Amino acid sequence: MRPAGYAVVRPGGRASFLVHRRAFAVTCVLAALLAAACVAYLCVGESFVAPGEVVKVVFGRPSPDELVVGELREPRLALGLLVGAAFGVSGALIQTVARNPLASPDVIGVTHGAGAVTVAAMTYGVTSYTALPYLSIAGGLAAAALVYVFAWRRGLHAARFVLIGIGCSVALSSVTQLFLTKGDYLVAQQAKVWLTGSLNGRGYAEARPLALVLLLAVPCALWAARAQRTVSFDDDTATALGVRLGRVRFGLVALGVVLASVATGAAGPVDFVALLAPQIARRLTRTAQIPLPAAALTGALVVVVADLLARKLFSPTELPVGVMTAAVGAPYLMWLIVRGRSRSGEPS
Amino acid sequence: MTTPQPVPAQPTPPRREASQPVPAREAAPANRLAARGLTLAYEDRVVVDGLDLEIPDGRVTVIVGPNACGKSTLLRALGRLLKPRNGSVLLDGAELACVPTRQIARTLGLLPQSPVPPEGITVADLVSRGRQPHQKWWQQWSESDERLVAEAMERTATSDLAGRLVDELSGGQRQRAWIAMALAQDTDLLLLDEPTTFLDIAHQVEVLDLVRRLNRERGRTVVAVLHDLNQAARYADHLIAMKAGLIVAEGPPGEVVTAELVREVFGLASVVVPDPVTGSPLVVPGAPWQPSGPAAREAQDAQDATATPHP
Repeated sequence: MRPAGYAVVRPGGRASFLVHRRAFAVTCVLAALLAAACVAYLCVGESFVAPGEVVKVVFGRPSPDELVVGELREPRLALGLLVGAAFGVSGALIQTVARNPLASPDVIGVTHGAGAVTVAAMTYGVTSYTALPYLSIAGGLAAAALVYVFAWRRGLHAARFVLIGIGCSVALSSVTQLFLTKGDYLVAQQAKVWLTGSLNGRGYAEARPLALVLLLAVPCALWAARAQRTVSFDDDTATALGVRLGRVRFGLVALGVVLASVATGAAGPVDFVALLAPQIARRLTRTAQIPLPAAALTGALVVVVADLLARKLFSPTELPVGVMTAAVGAPYLMWLIVRGRSRSGEPS
Repeated sequence: MTTPQPVPAQPTPPRREASQPVPAREAAPANRLAARGLTLAYEDRVVVDGLDLEIPDGRVTVIVGPNACGKSTLLRALGRLLKPRNGSVLLDGAELACVPTRQIARTLGLLPQSPVPPEGITVADLVSRGRQPHQKWWQQWSESDERLVAEAMERTATSDLAGRLVDELSGGQRQRAWIAMALAQDTDLLLLDEPTTFLDIAHQVEVLDLVRRLNRERGRTVVAVLHDLNQAARYADHLIAMKAGLIVAEGPPGEVVTAELVREVFGLASVVVPDPVTGSPLVVPGAPWQPSGPAAREAQDAQDATATPHP
C-alpha cells in the first residue's frame, strides 16, 4: 500500500523516491508563475520594455534595452528571487521545528539581532556597504544562537523556543529603538529603510554571497525534507522512529537561521515572507509537512511581485519592498485559510 | 588477495533468528530485552530505584500498578525515551544508550501514550512513516515497504481509511492507525503505553485482541502498560505488578493475581474469582459504599425525596 496521493519514482537501480503528486504539480505551476512574474518585473518600470526585448536581454542577445533591463532591473530581480527563496525555506524549517505556524526567523531573534547590530553600527558611523551586511549576518546568527542556548534544557522544547525567541526579539528591538532615537536624524532615516527591507540600489554584489549559500543549502535541504517527515511528530514518536531529535532539530534550525541571516544581510529583514510563504505553500500542496521547494518558490514569488508593485505603484518614488510583502502575501493567506475552513472544517 | 583471515570470535549479540538455543555465555541475558540495576528519575524525584527486569521473548508482558507507580516511566526507559540515571537497559545484550537510535528503531517499536500526528496527514501516509527507520534518502519506497504497509493496514482494518485525515478519525480508528504505523515498522519487539486509554470497551477488546494475534501469529514480543487489572490478567502471558517503583510480583497472571496482591498493590479490598469466559483471575472489588446508621438513612431518604420530582 502506497500512501494516497504519492507516486513512486524509480530512476533505476534500487533507488526510489516518493513524490507527492499535488505538491509536484503545485511546484511546477509556481515555477511557471514565477517565470512570468520575472518577465513582468523586467518589463515594468519607469519605461516599459516589450517582453520580446526582455527575453533577448536575458539570453544575452544584443538589444537596445540592454542598459535598463540588464544593468538596472536584472540584478535587483536576481537579489529579490534569492532573498525570497531563502526566507521561504528558512520559515518552513523554523515552523517545522517550532511546530508552530506563527514561528519564523523574525520570532526567534534573527531579524531583530541583525537589526540591532546594523543600526548600532550605523549610529557609530559605519557606513561601508561592504561591512554592514556582514555585521548584520553576525548579529542575526548571534541572536539566534543565544535564543537556542536559552531555550535548551535537556532538549529543545518547541514552545519554550518560541517564547524565549519572542522575549529576545522584543529586547533587541528596544535596543534598535534606543539607537534610532539616540542617533542623528539622517542615520535614523537610513536605518529605517534598512529595517523595512529594501532592494533599492542593490544587486549582484549582495546577491553573490547569498547565491553561494543557497547553492550549499540545496543538498542540506534534501536531507531536511527527509527529516521533516519524522520531526513533525511529537518527540516520543519521532524518537521511536529512530530520529536523533537533538541533532536533527539543531541541523534544521541552523540551516534556517543561516539562510535567514544571509538574506537579511543582503536586503534587510523583508517582513512576513518567512511567515507567509511556507503557510501558503502548505495550503496549496495539502501535504502533511511544509514542502521546501514550494516554500522557496512562493517566497520568491511574493518578493518579486511585492517589489514590482513597490517600484511601480508610487513611481517615480520606489518604496522599500518590505512595505509591500505583507500587503501581497497576507490577504492571499487569509483567503486560503478561510476557504480551507469552509471546505473541510480542517483546523488552520 | 583473498587470504583467509582468522575470524576473531566476536561477542556478537544474539541475532533475530536466535530462537535456536544460543550457547550460554556467562552474564549474557537470556532474553532480548532486560534491565539491570535501573534507576530512573525526573529532576530530583527518583521514580524507579535499582530495578532488575527480564522481558520474556515471544510473550505478551503486561505491566500493571497504581497511578504514579513508575510503570509508564519504566516502559519509556525500555524504549530509550528516558535516559536511566543509573544502571542500563539491555537490548540483545548491548546497552541501549550505546546503540544508535535508528538501529534500535529497526528492532524495537514503541507507541507512546498520546502520540501527536503531523497536521493534516492521511492514514496511509501516517502508516507509511513507520518504514522510515528502514529507508535511506535514496531508497524511499521499496517493494517491502509497500508490502509491509499494506499488511499492517489490513491487520488493523485501516485499509478502508487510507485516504482519510487522521484528525477526522474516531478514537478507536485513530488508535488502530497508530498501531498500524508501529506494525509497519516491522520490529521484533513492540512496546505499548496504555494502548486502550480513551477507548470504549469494544475498542479496548479489539486492540488487545490485535496485540495478542500479533504475538501468537508472528511471535512478536509485546510489552504493554495497562491500567485495567482484569484486562491485564486476560491478555498477559507474563504479568508484572509494580508499586512505588518496585516490582511487587511477576509471573503468569493465574499465579500473580490474588486478593492479597490487589490489597498490597492497589490498597483495594477485593474478591478474586475465575473469569467465567477465560478462567483467568477476575478481580471483583468489595461491596460499594452503603449508608449506615439512622442519620445516614435519613439523609438518604431526604435525597431520594428531592431526587424524585414526580412521586
